[in-house]
Amino acid sequence: MASVKDLRDRIRSLKNTQQITKAMKQVAAAKIRRAEEAQRRARPYADALAELLHDLLRAVHAVDHPFMRPGKSGAPSGLLLMTSDKGLAGAFNSNLIRAAELYVREKPDVTFYTVGVKARNAVRRMGARAAAGWPLAAASKIDAAREVARRLSDDFTGGRISEIVMISPQLVSMMSQRPQTRKLAPIVKEDLAALAGGKVPDDKPKGAVEFAPSPEFVLSRLLPKYLEFTIFSAMLETDAAFFAAQLIAMSNATDNAKKLIDELTIEMNNARQAAITKELLEIVAGAEALGA
Amino acid sequence: MASTIPFKLITPTRLIFAGDAHLVIAVTTEGEEGILPQHAPFLAALKPGLLRANVVENGRESRLELATREGFMQALPDRVTVLVDEALRFEDVDVAEARAALAQAVERQKSETGDAAAYAREQATIDFESAKLRLTGHGAAH
Repeated sequence: MASVKDLRDRIRSLKNTQQITKAMKQVAAAKIRRAEEAQRRARPYADALAELLHDLLRAVHAVDHPFMRPGKSGAPSGLLLMTSDKGLAGAFNSNLIRAAELYVREKPDVTFYTVGVKARNAVRRMGARAAAGWPLAAASKIDAAREVARRLSDDFTGGRISEIVMISPQLVSMMSQRPQTRKLAPIVKEDLAALAGGKVPDDKPKGAVEFAPSPEFVLSRLLPKYLEFTIFSAMLETDAAFFAAQLIAMSNATDNAKKLIDELTIEMNNARQAAITKELLEIVAGAEALGA
Repeated sequence: MASTIPFKLITPTRLIFAGDAHLVIAVTTEGEEGILPQHAPFLAALKPGLLRANVVENGRESRLELATREGFMQALPDRVTVLVDEALRFEDVDVAEARAALAQAVERQKSETGDAAAYAREQATIDFESAKLRLTGHGAAH
């Protein structure tokens, strides 16, 4: 049986750990609120973009935009892997990295682009080809997203990659985040229609819409914005999902620490009681020996 | 000018304005375009420039003026929506910074040869920085 002193030391160290996990849990809870607020503020833009697309798809006949042409055949697939910068969030990052590994198993010829320090490190460990990496934390997420989008679209239109695929976390609920894999380019009309909230609109517009200069031109301007914004909102969602995962992980860690502390405290009390009993027995035995 | 139309100005990071407008003027790729209530359905790509609108804010008539990056304007019979990458009000503009950014973009554009996309990017920066300066009353250097 461990000595009372050993047990007391272990309990003290566990209490310190518990304090740290409890603090991290509270910080995560506060940061989720901020991340969700950022997501909420991006919502009007998403809705308006969807509405624009809806109007455009009704008017556009043929679009000759690089994003809508099939990528260069034979070129590697471009995979944008998005994780958090930090850990201590349970299986959050490893689930995303596993999704990327599964993707690579099916399509071995992949060029990686990473957002998040954990993604960059994982790709390095895999020994895969990485074209560029950015941290998730940025002074301005929208500017960071624009940079990522520009690099990806340059590589796609330049024929260095044949498609753009993104793996990023989806915040299903506070308790559940899972990786989702989405193809960002080439875009087919049906993808856009899904974004615009339905099927390809085939009804005639209510009254002719006037386009300046033409629906095709406006759409060709809109597609890069769509890519930028999709990456931007994925970054916001990664943030929110990460803090949700961290909140759960830290909450579990705090509970586990409490359980361990309780068990060890009982063990320590038993050990202390045993020591006291043993001492008493010795004293009584000594007194009896003297009195005899 | 009694009639108004619901007007929204939106950037990816926030809703800048939502209210009623008598008139919205934006710089499209084809030139300035003014939208009055009951305008025919209209959809345009916007260049960086000045966005002006006569709006009703808290029940009072006021004038909205912002420097905006590129974006889109959609006019429907019942509303006007402007989507831009960034929109700055007068008080958000740092004049010295805008001057410096403008001068740098002009220099970079001069040395740019061949790459049409890069040239266009610099032009967009030039337009936006000039709009910032015009908004703050520091005139256009171009």
